[in-house]
Amino acid sequence: MKKKITSKEGLQDKISRREFLGLSKTVAIGGVIVAGVVGGVAGYLAGSAAAPAVTTAPASTITTTRVETREVTKTVTAPVARKLKVGYVYVGPIGDYGWTHGHDRGRRWADEKFGLNNVESIYIESVPEAEAAGAIKSLIEKGCELIITTSFGYMDTTAEAAEKYPDKYFVHISGYRSGAAGNAPQNMSAAFAEFYQLYYLNGLAAGAVTQTGVVGYVGAYPIPEVVRHINAFVLGANYAYKKRTGKNIKAHVSWIFEWVAPEKARAAAIALVEEKNCDVLAFTEDTPAVLQVAEEYQRKGKKVWSFSHYSDMREYGPTAHLTGQIANWGPIYLDFYKMVATNTWQSVDIWTRIGDYMSWRWRLPVEKSTAGLPEGTVYLAPLNPVIPSEWQLEIKKRYEEMKELLFEPFSVEGNLGEPIRDQNGEVRIKAGERADHDMLWNMDWHVEYIEEPLPR
Amino acid sequence: MSIEWIEQVLQLTVQMGTVYLIASLGEIYAERSGVLNLGLEGIMIMGAAISFIFTVAYNHLIAILVAAVVGILMSLILAVMTVHLRLNQVIVGLALTLLGIGLSGVITSPGIREKILLTLNPNLPEKMLTIQQAEKLLEIPIPLLSQIPILGRALFNHNVLVYFSLITAFSMWFILFKTRAGLVIRSVGENPSMADTLGVNVFLVRYITVIISGLFASLAGAYFFIGFHPFWREGVTAGRGFIAIALVILATWNPLRAILGAYLFGGIETLQYRLQLLGLGAQSPYFLAMLPYIITIIALILISTESLRKKIGAPASLGIPYSREE
Repeated sequence: MKKKITSKEGLQDKISRREFLGLSKTVAIGGVIVAGVVGGVAGYLAGSAAAPAVTTAPASTITTTRVETREVTKTVTAPVARKLKVGYVYVGPIGDYGWTHGHDRGRRWADEKFGLNNVESIYIESVPEAEAAGAIKSLIEKGCELIITTSFGYMDTTAEAAEKYPDKYFVHISGYRSGAAGNAPQNMSAAFAEFYQLYYLNGLAAGAVTQTGVVGYVGAYPIPEVVRHINAFVLGANYAYKKRTGKNIKAHVSWIFEWVAPEKARAAAIALVEEKNCDVLAFTEDTPAVLQVAEEYQRKGKKVWSFSHYSDMREYGPTAHLTGQIANWGPIYLDFYKMVATNTWQSVDIWTRIGDYMSWRWRLPVEKSTAGLPEGTVYLAPLNPVIPSEWQLEIKKRYEEMKELLFEPFSVEGNLGEPIRDQNGEVRIKAGERADHDMLWNMDWHVEYIEEPLPR
Repeated sequence: MSIEWIEQVLQLTVQMGTVYLIASLGEIYAERSGVLNLGLEGIMIMGAAISFIFTVAYNHLIAILVAAVVGILMSLILAVMTVHLRLNQVIVGLALTLLGIGLSGVITSPGIREKILLTLNPNLPEKMLTIQQAEKLLEIPIPLLSQIPILGRALFNHNVLVYFSLITAFSMWFILFKTRAGLVIRSVGENPSMADTLGVNVFLVRYITVIISGLFASLAGAYFFIGFHPFWREGVTAGRGFIAIALVILATWNPLRAILGAYLFGGIETLQYRLQLLGLGAQSPYFLAMLPYIITIIALILISTESLRKKIGAPASLGIPYSREE
């Protein structure tokens, strides 16, 4: 009897091999999930580690000594201004070297200028446009008073958030909705740093060095922003090339339909060089891919040139780098910091060009020109000495004139006195006219020198 | 279309296609033995990240070797989970992909990368700590052969990893179809219990083939970074691992057909931008850009439909964990 019971117990204790495998399967699935969670947490920590740590403002102690009868020690809490908390929403990783990298540099610049004791900024990177609302909410929950969203696709979400949180302030980059424009609440502002003038100067450099008379452009998406940059670049190239040789420039555009896709930009750049014999390549793609391709050609003995875009990219193409467009978003951010910190908020629509946010807005004589030096929010990358000196002077002259808006690329002056025509030969800008803000923001036509039609 | 044009197109086609070729070669072995390695993308991106860091810190040779070791280690995770513990291969593979994408982002994020680089090589100049670029592998034209018109520039004017991919494609085809080892691998993928009865160590064979697939995936990532376009960004491989898996099906698990398939994908990517400039599809370049993904979707539908799988000759026990008891 006793024996029987024991054997029964033994049977219950024994786990069959199949059950054991089943168990280990569960454990392993759990392990995979845990590994995923750990990875996610590690990634999150790595991201937030980059944000500056919170420091509490110390209460200052003042010791007053009175000469009279007794000594009194008074502890006074000095009126410390509240510490501003700013939240940024980025569309890409800060290591993209283009758009988001530029915004992150701007953030650090503004923080430093505002004083790291007075501001704490945090950011969330790689936020898909559909998830912007959640990112904004979590930043507000962390106590941010000022939220800056840095992608066009965040525009409507930002406006909704501005309505939902009327006591917080919102800045949206690259859109057109703001309290100032009347299509968003008063606590929302818009801002954009504009490049088309710099693209025109790049075009001058391109037209000055091209041997084949053919320039190329690797475009991201056929939207007005990119289209006006292409047109400005080609107008500049035509100006310089026609003045040099009397012939019109030929321009080709290859579209990659991505903002960040270095391998596609590589293939498109190679196609422009080999298919169409382009020897200067400009681009809108957020990595130095096109410049890297140009540098590879230079190393093989073929003269191909390219530019910087958003950040100084010279180290990615030391030989092939002609000049380029660089943005510093910092001064714009700093302005908003000041407004919020001093309770002087006003909804604005900021559109900065050459000359804006510079300490010295007047044009300088050409020999003292600051072209190629960091200043303001948009400026020219250093000029490569291979650009003939008379064209360096021309670029500097135009740069200085544009500080006072004395010169406008989209005018007959920018096209050797000729009216600007589109690809169908229709005159878009006549003598005495200049492209205004609306025309630039809605540009949907290519200038006549471009051979490919605009995809629609 | 001049001869020069064809040469240029073929040269870039081979450069673009090699990343798919290397990755699919390893995957062919894993799938031939019955294991679907869906972690290809994750292992590939880790290979790219490792080759980036180690090329900056040391040199190409060390970078490739370390990438190979990391690839082997990552595929070991898959092997233990799917061969030993008999977990669902799709789920483990996808988890491995997510792990690779996340981990590669962490080790290359600016602050952490700087620390890793300084630990590896304290003498690195400051500039190298922040640059997102590495030295590219040199192209070594093969004497005489590279002078052949068309083929010379297309096949014999590349870096070592391209030559490696071509040589291994042929030798892996030979091993798989002409040697006893290949027969063993294929039998394990077709009918593991029969192979087991005949004295084949099914587990060992599957371990080895999974490790081979990890090794090759990691090398494909290394090629993509230091051999094709040496600029680092998060998610640099952009789904190429999945395209390689689709390619395996397109190549019907045959290394020689994988060469053609890989160059087909590479060719589509190359021609896309040239056709735009020739006025073809310039109005709507979306169609060509879609092609690799359409082919991938079709291939994945093919492999997941039971009746179709048999028709295209998929290994009969692909995706099914083997256990002796059942």
